[in-house]
Amino acid sequence: MEFHAEQNLTSDEHDILQEIMNIAFGRASADLAEVIDIYVELNVPYVQTLDVRELPSYLATELAGHESVSIVEQGYLGKFRGLALLVFPVGAGRELFSLLNGGDQGGAESTNMALMERETLMELGNILIGACVGKIAELLDDVVTYAPPRVNVEERPENAIVADLFEQNTLATVMRTVFHFKDRDIDGHFFLINSSDSFGWLKKALYTFMERYA
Amino acid sequence: MFGKILIVDDSRVARMIARKCISTVEKDALLYEAEDGLDGVGKYKEIRPDVTFMDLTMPVMDGIEAVKEIVQFDPRALIIVATADVQQKTISQVMEAGAFAVLRKPLSPEMVLKVFQDIGAGRG
Repeated sequence: MEFHAEQNLTSDEHDILQEIMNIAFGRASADLAEVIDIYVELNVPYVQTLDVRELPSYLATELAGHESVSIVEQGYLGKFRGLALLVFPVGAGRELFSLLNGGDQGGAESTNMALMERETLMELGNILIGACVGKIAELLDDVVTYAPPRVNVEERPENAIVADLFEQNTLATVMRTVFHFKDRDIDGHFFLINSSDSFGWLKKALYTFMERYA
Repeated sequence: MFGKILIVDDSRVARMIARKCISTVEKDALLYEAEDGLDGVGKYKEIRPDVTFMDLTMPVMDGIEAVKEIVQFDPRALIIVATADVQQKTISQVMEAGAFAVLRKPLSPEMVLKVFQDIGAGRG
């Protein structure tokens, strides 16, 4: 399968987007640290362009070692548009709920605990996805709206992407970072996946961003 | 005011932004670049810059480790951390490591001017 140049991002465009992702996720982590008493260790973000048909196997590879995971997914819609995925190992939601609850998992019934785990993951998703995507949109002079988030607990990694979510035979830009909740020993994976229908706008927006520093 | 300034950042784009902001404020300074913390420590020892701008999240050696190594080598080093990670705990760690100030990315000429004025006034 061949793709047109306008569907793909150049090396310069990848670099700019990577730095913007770095800035945005840093802000999102600080926002989270203000809400809950947790320290987020950040890793260098990574940007790559993939054929959308490779997304399931890409996620399976990135999340290798996890048979099942908890996933918060949320679509964002603007000129900058795509899908955000926040992925934690199974059980992380309970740990994080206890953190929000002052260290107490305290006697909650299992049905309540399952609900609380979902609610906790959804709230974390709201903060991290909203702050990160919002900052990227701001830096690129865009405004986005969000679809309601969905939480899937104990999901297989390769099922994180709904197969028909993106138009087939197109490319997607994947922005990925891995982070670590210090003192809780929990790793999380954060992905922003943009479909190629926003590439034309994105290319212009990236260069407009850099023009300020030309 | 400053003859030599070192920019340590793994992102080519971030280095480009830093160059633009610094050269707007300090037109005659010689600017040097390093691509990670280890490279930054090496270049610091070689160049002995008047000021160093340091990113935090970098491969090979992160910014906090690089700040510690530079300060150990030269306790009078003036290091300005420019980072997207603005968690309070991170800022505390950076200042404890011996940085002069922390700036939030993306840098702007105004931020650089302010921190240079602070250096001139002798306060962080």
